[in-house]
Amino acid sequence: MTAVATATAERELGASRLRVGEIWRIVRLLAVNPTIFFGVPWMILGGAWAVTMVLALIMTGAGAPMEEAREGFRYSWAVLSPQWYLVVVGVQAVAYTFSFALGFGSTRRDFWLGMSVMFVLVSAEMAVAIATLVQLEQLTDGWWIGAGMFDALWYGQLGWGFDFLSTFVLQLLVLFVGASATTIYMRWRVRGMMVLLFGTVALVLVLVASLTFTGSWPAVWAWLAGLTSIGLILVGLAAAAVAAVAGFLVIRRATPR
Amino acid sequence: MTSTVVRASGLTKRYGSFAAVDRVDFALEENRIYGLLGRNGAGKTTLMQLLTGQLFPNEGELEVFGRTPAEHADVLRRLCFIAESQRYPEDFTPKHVFTSAPWFFENWDAEFAERLIADFRLPVKRRIKKLSRGQLSAVGVIVGLASRAPLTFFDEPYLGLDAVARHIFYDRLLEDYAEHPRTIVLSTHLIDEVANLLEHVILIDQGRILLDRDAEEVRGQATTIAGARSVVEEFVQGRPIIGREGIGGLASVTIDGRLDREERIRAAELGLELAPVSLQQLIVHLTGADLAGATEKEVAA
Repeated sequence: MTAVATATAERELGASRLRVGEIWRIVRLLAVNPTIFFGVPWMILGGAWAVTMVLALIMTGAGAPMEEAREGFRYSWAVLSPQWYLVVVGVQAVAYTFSFALGFGSTRRDFWLGMSVMFVLVSAEMAVAIATLVQLEQLTDGWWIGAGMFDALWYGQLGWGFDFLSTFVLQLLVLFVGASATTIYMRWRVRGMMVLLFGTVALVLVLVASLTFTGSWPAVWAWLAGLTSIGLILVGLAAAAVAAVAGFLVIRRATPR
Repeated sequence: MTSTVVRASGLTKRYGSFAAVDRVDFALEENRIYGLLGRNGAGKTTLMQLLTGQLFPNEGELEVFGRTPAEHADVLRRLCFIAESQRYPEDFTPKHVFTSAPWFFENWDAEFAERLIADFRLPVKRRIKKLSRGQLSAVGVIVGLASRAPLTFFDEPYLGLDAVARHIFYDRLLEDYAEHPRTIVLSTHLIDEVANLLEHVILIDQGRILLDRDAEEVRGQATTIAGARSVVEEFVQGRPIIGREGIGGLASVTIDGRLDREERIRAAELGLELAPVSLQQLIVHLTGADLAGATEKEVAA
């Protein structure tokens, strides 16, 4: 007589659908090597800051008018320097850590949820830090030498809260776009990436064509111009959410390499 | 009473028109050591990926601990599968692997893992990418052993391991298995290396199961009869032949099945030599049949 060993378990019966332990361990797995999410972004930011400081010192030394220099620093993109790296982090989370987590017995669902928690935490951390550094830079009048790195682009105009929200949303968007695009590869491999690429190009062309032929461009520009700062943040947040949900749906049937 | 841990019927995984696993039926019982044997590309890894829910089957039914493995956390937490070509997160070191393992395997024995790390002399702070093939295999072996998962897979554990390390794996596995019985699936194409470990053999070739039998039975299952060609041919007439070799007037034929006492006496009288067939030889006979069969058919005809 043989019986089937079942897993209709003890603990599963009463447990809720939301398995906190199973999701949190993915956060820990992604953070077990903290260099990836926390070390490198700050090294990049630190490097960019050091370059900015040296530049400011050179300019002061050369006797450049610092009022104009401050204005010039506003156009520096240095504050956004970790973004490109974080796209790669999003890609690698799915390309490598996902395969590994499956080997360790995680479900795809728990992996994606845990990774999303990690993304939110990292984005919040970056946002708090950058928004605070903007304030510090303003307080110290450019780190006492008139250098400007954080108080640039749209930063430092609408207060700490806006700087926080905009960085948070941008960070989330960047991470989720990287991760969800990679889920396409993990599920449909190269063919999937081709379809995604050509599909996106075709969609853009169709959009441009239809807007041009219907003469709707002025309306589009008006809509964009009419967007408030908060409106822009909401658009970014919506895009991040779409990427997150799409990635979740795709990864549910993805297979590791 | 034995429990069935895995039950598969008609299980199929296709890539386009190629069937990596082709309508296989089998079951795995609790607390046994299985050898999943076969040549490179036979479908061993695909089969294990199906069992661990990493791949989705195209057809057939599969139950692991009573339900489909894919996306079922209650099944997956009882499994451990570090693939031979396992991908690790960027810049991972063995230390990271062993730090995170206890979060995923509830029976993880950290002390045992430490001992194995010392035994295998694994450099835990070296990046995984920089490890040698043998050291990489050791990472998988250590996770597999120390996790003590109720269903543990070892995918080509011997790949690149030196003689000492192979011996360590062999010893530790048997020791630990005796104390903590569990179901173990060992996939390998290095058959002689693991032959003595196995309690049950599943032989897979071109996505199909050729043999699914108790290892003891398999060991005594085939016999090689050698002697003068004509005498041998006459003796094996009507028996299931799985291999033929010959030089000049001499022939050596391997048959599937045992000889009883009477037959052995008759063989001795005819001046034939009988030899048992090792697991490896038997498997070469079974899976290399195409090659051997093609040349021998002409001779027979």
